[in-house]
Amino acid sequence: MPEIRRQLLRLRANTWERLPAALRPFTWFLISLAVLIIPTFDDVWMRMFFLVALYATLGMGLNVVVGLAGLLDLGFVAFFATGAYVVAMLGSPVSPAVSGTLNYWFLLPLAIGVGALVGLLLGLPVLPLRGDYLAIVTLGFGEIIRILALNMDNYTRGSQGLFEIHKPDLGFRHIDDVRSFYVLVVVAALAVWFVTSRLRESRVGRAWEAIREDEDVAAAMGINTTKYKLMAFATGASVGALGGAIFAPFIDFVAPQSFTLIVSINVIALVIIGGMGSTQGVFAGALLLIGVPELLQFQETADFLKHFGWLRDVINALISGFNTITFLDVDKLPPAEDWGEKLALYRFIVFGALLVLVMVLRPSGLFPSKRREREFARREEEPVPEGTAV
Amino acid sequence: MAPLFLTSAEFWADQLVNGLTTGSIYALIALGYTMVYGVLQLINFAHGEVFMVGAFAGFGVLTAFGGEDISGVMITVSILVALIAAGAASAATAVTIERVAYRPLRNAPRLAPLISAIGVSVFLSHLVDDFFLNGESQFYPQIFPTGNVSAGPLSISYLQLFLIGASLAMMAVLYWVIQRTRTGRAIRAVSESRDNSALMGIDVNRAIVITFALGAVMAGFAGVLYGLFLSSIRGSMGFIPGVKAFTAAVLGGIGSIPGAVLGGYILGFAETIGRELLNEIPGVNLPNQWKDVIAFALLVTILILRPSGIFGRKETKRA
Repeated sequence: MPEIRRQLLRLRANTWERLPAALRPFTWFLISLAVLIIPTFDDVWMRMFFLVALYATLGMGLNVVVGLAGLLDLGFVAFFATGAYVVAMLGSPVSPAVSGTLNYWFLLPLAIGVGALVGLLLGLPVLPLRGDYLAIVTLGFGEIIRILALNMDNYTRGSQGLFEIHKPDLGFRHIDDVRSFYVLVVVAALAVWFVTSRLRESRVGRAWEAIREDEDVAAAMGINTTKYKLMAFATGASVGALGGAIFAPFIDFVAPQSFTLIVSINVIALVIIGGMGSTQGVFAGALLLIGVPELLQFQETADFLKHFGWLRDVINALISGFNTITFLDVDKLPPAEDWGEKLALYRFIVFGALLVLVMVLRPSGLFPSKRREREFARREEEPVPEGTAV
Repeated sequence: MAPLFLTSAEFWADQLVNGLTTGSIYALIALGYTMVYGVLQLINFAHGEVFMVGAFAGFGVLTAFGGEDISGVMITVSILVALIAAGAASAATAVTIERVAYRPLRNAPRLAPLISAIGVSVFLSHLVDDFFLNGESQFYPQIFPTGNVSAGPLSISYLQLFLIGASLAMMAVLYWVIQRTRTGRAIRAVSESRDNSALMGIDVNRAIVITFALGAVMAGFAGVLYGLFLSSIRGSMGFIPGVKAFTAAVLGGIGSIPGAVLGGYILGFAETIGRELLNEIPGVNLPNQWKDVIAFALLVTILILRPSGIFGRKETKRA
């Protein structure tokens, strides 16, 4: 008996110690923050937090492909769509593919599996490609999946979409409101976080990073680059599918319109803005790129902006002065009551400007991972020879 | 149903003309991608929006000239002015983008300029759509004389003839600039090696700015031609042609100017002919969007067979 107890204690100690050191206090901080949010905010805000956590999850998945293995994937939406469509096609009563619906807890792992499979299938043909070629081909795959979903309407109902998707049920609680979905996605995010951080510190993670640094050298060191690149694709893809599988019952309308390139752009942008390869960065990026544009649509923001009537007077005075001098006719600002509405309309303009601004101010992201930072510092000393083919 | 290869000569002639038309637009835009990639190894994701700005500048000029009421010799004059204005507006946009979003990131991690480029692209397309136009499309005045030139099975409208001819002429001028002028030589040197060019006394920044401007002028021209041909323009119009043109540049071997032109035409042909041919198979009726599927399938196939594109070599001779 004491022997077993000792074994168990050692196991616990090992698991804890193996967590990356930087992660430990931060983990608890984030988890408590994530829990505290639930009773504090109303549904509109919870929707925003849901989306932030969902995109952070997707970001961690893509981080494996882009941040660790260095494979620039611009078609992440393909896997997100795969997960959503698996759940929707087999879990919706309106689905033409099957009669009857299947249980969500069966569909969720199925979606992850199918996602990994699609990742492998898409990964295989693009294996020999590097850098920017890979980027454009994956971007193409993302578009192809969307066009397929749109046109194979015998299975997907095309742009009419699939709805009334079977909701996850825990027995004691039916997950059908935004708060429960938020909890679900936070649990998923933690799981993905755990898996990816374990992978990163493992032999597999080191192999990925070796491939990212120099594929030829990695191969020369005995790393099976084909195997590890496919593994990276499959891992990223299954996380993407997981995200899609949670998104589908939440939004309860799965149609090709939801799976455009902007999803891929959002995910890759938040990974890079956060600082490639760092998990804190992914969360910060999600908060900034998903949270801020959502925030611009809130009534609270509009109410807050109403206090800036004085600013409008100042700017309008400037404009009329400008008009008098230059004989132009520049429009004056609308009343501050309408600013909220305008800002919601202009949120993508803000998003684009934000991307440029963050990159120019912090080119290696908000929280650059330590290892990569060292690597970039070195790279500046010995510049890569130009004219080398990609 | 006749076998595929027996389809009428008119069918093939039509496809030839349509392929040349779309191919010309792709080729003009692809030039900008390939030249910028040549000097900076950067995917200028905002190039599609540079094309869009050109289309709107041309639209502005044509509207100022009287829109649908333009007639007689004024048609020629207005279209010429529209082309020049579009080239200038696009060049100004591209140079500004380079200054604001790319130059500060010249020595940053490789993906930083890509994200910044995507940011510019999202910013510009939504600025036009959401801020200026409230999501409405604008329509080019249909002033180009209608009519066809026929030769045997070949029948081509005046507009298509103009579009194809003008594109080829512009590409010839660009080729002359790159191959025969001092500036062109500077651009070629910079795309061989930025550091060595600087050592040889070439103003690298100037060469890069001129590369952006030249590529943008081509994109601006393409914008006006696109508007004249398809009429409807909006802020997000640059995205799909942009991605296609980049595909064309990659097809031809990115960094290579003849490659971009060839890639543009191959893509144009593959899209138009591919779908029509598949539709000849009994029971197949593919909608228009399958053009994109064909384009990307072709891209993947070619890249698997020749990973650095048609004209790309292991040590790519760029520009």
